[in-house]
Amino acid sequence: MTSTDESNLIERFKQGDRSAFEELVRKFQDRIYNLCRYMLRDPQNAQDAAQDVFLKAYRALKDFRPDASFYTWIYRIAVTTCLDYRRKSHREALRSAPLTEDLPSNAPSPHQLYESREIAESIQIALQKLPDKLRAAIVLREIEGCSYEEIAQVLHASVGTVKSRIWRARNQLRRLLKKTG
Amino acid sequence: MQIFFGTKRAPQSFNRKREEKMKCRQAKKTISPYVDGALAPGEKNRFESHIRGCASCREDLEETRDLRRMFDSGRRFSAPYGFTTRVLANLEEKKRSRPLSPLPIKPFFLRAVQVAFALVIMTVGIMSGNLLLIERRAPMGQTAVRETFSLDLFQAAPPDSIGGVYDALMGPHHER
Repeated sequence: MTSTDESNLIERFKQGDRSAFEELVRKFQDRIYNLCRYMLRDPQNAQDAAQDVFLKAYRALKDFRPDASFYTWIYRIAVTTCLDYRRKSHREALRSAPLTEDLPSNAPSPHQLYESREIAESIQIALQKLPDKLRAAIVLREIEGCSYEEIAQVLHASVGTVKSRIWRARNQLRRLLKKTG
Repeated sequence: MQIFFGTKRAPQSFNRKREEKMKCRQAKKTISPYVDGALAPGEKNRFESHIRGCASCREDLEETRDLRRMFDSGRRFSAPYGFTTRVLANLEEKKRSRPLSPLPIKPFFLRAVQVAFALVIMTVGIMSGNLLLIERRAPMGQTAVRETFSLDLFQAAPPDSIGGVYDALMGPHHER
């Protein structure tokens, strides 16, 4: 469910107040950019994708139903946009690059990694190795803190499917990060 | 795999091993919703009692918790400075270049129109090519003659032109 604050902004936008959209962008820019950054890794691609998300949202906002959740709605746009960007960019190059070469050479074991400064980088590299569906599910869960039900709404999947994808994503990530230990 | 026939009962240790294996399979799938706090109380209790007696699942649980801690302590990226301004500027630019359509033309539809247009152009080209063919009406009992326009219809090159010089060099047997 959309919060009152967001509902007011959307209502103002529908009545022609363009500054309401600016406020929505300011409110969600960090979350959307962060999501794009973990989905795409490359800062420039992430910035372009985040901008596209808001452009798409601008076009579609007048059809937004007030009973829906705004952030679920905009996350859905963000995930779709990021997947499009990945398809367009050199996906094969990323996939074929061996993980051990990408990761810092002195990468610590998984147990110590969480204390390291290179955590975000290591996670981002490992995330790029996951299939698109698994990456979207785990990023929404771990980075954005979405519940299983919210992820199911964003990804248009059942809660059971979301649980399974998160479980598989975690197993694969553990294996990938362990390899570097 | 061991098979036990007839009335001979399987040793208790064998049954226990099988039972534990089944439990482990279920437990490993339960680790993920457990760390997310998404288990029903009954399921949670069953999982915890399994974990107490199973070192392998306990290890998997610890690794999954480590992974969660990694994500928690990982960096949160903020949008670059001036992000909102750039979004709004992009919107203005897009509005100026073309109005934002609520129902954009689907790429598939656009492609279909392009293909249809190309087919029309090709058909017109083939049909107009046929116009260059002249069919002469033959007198009764004779075969019709078809003529096409060709370079033979053109006059011979004048002697002072490049074509004329070329013809002269090639000799009289090359002349038309």
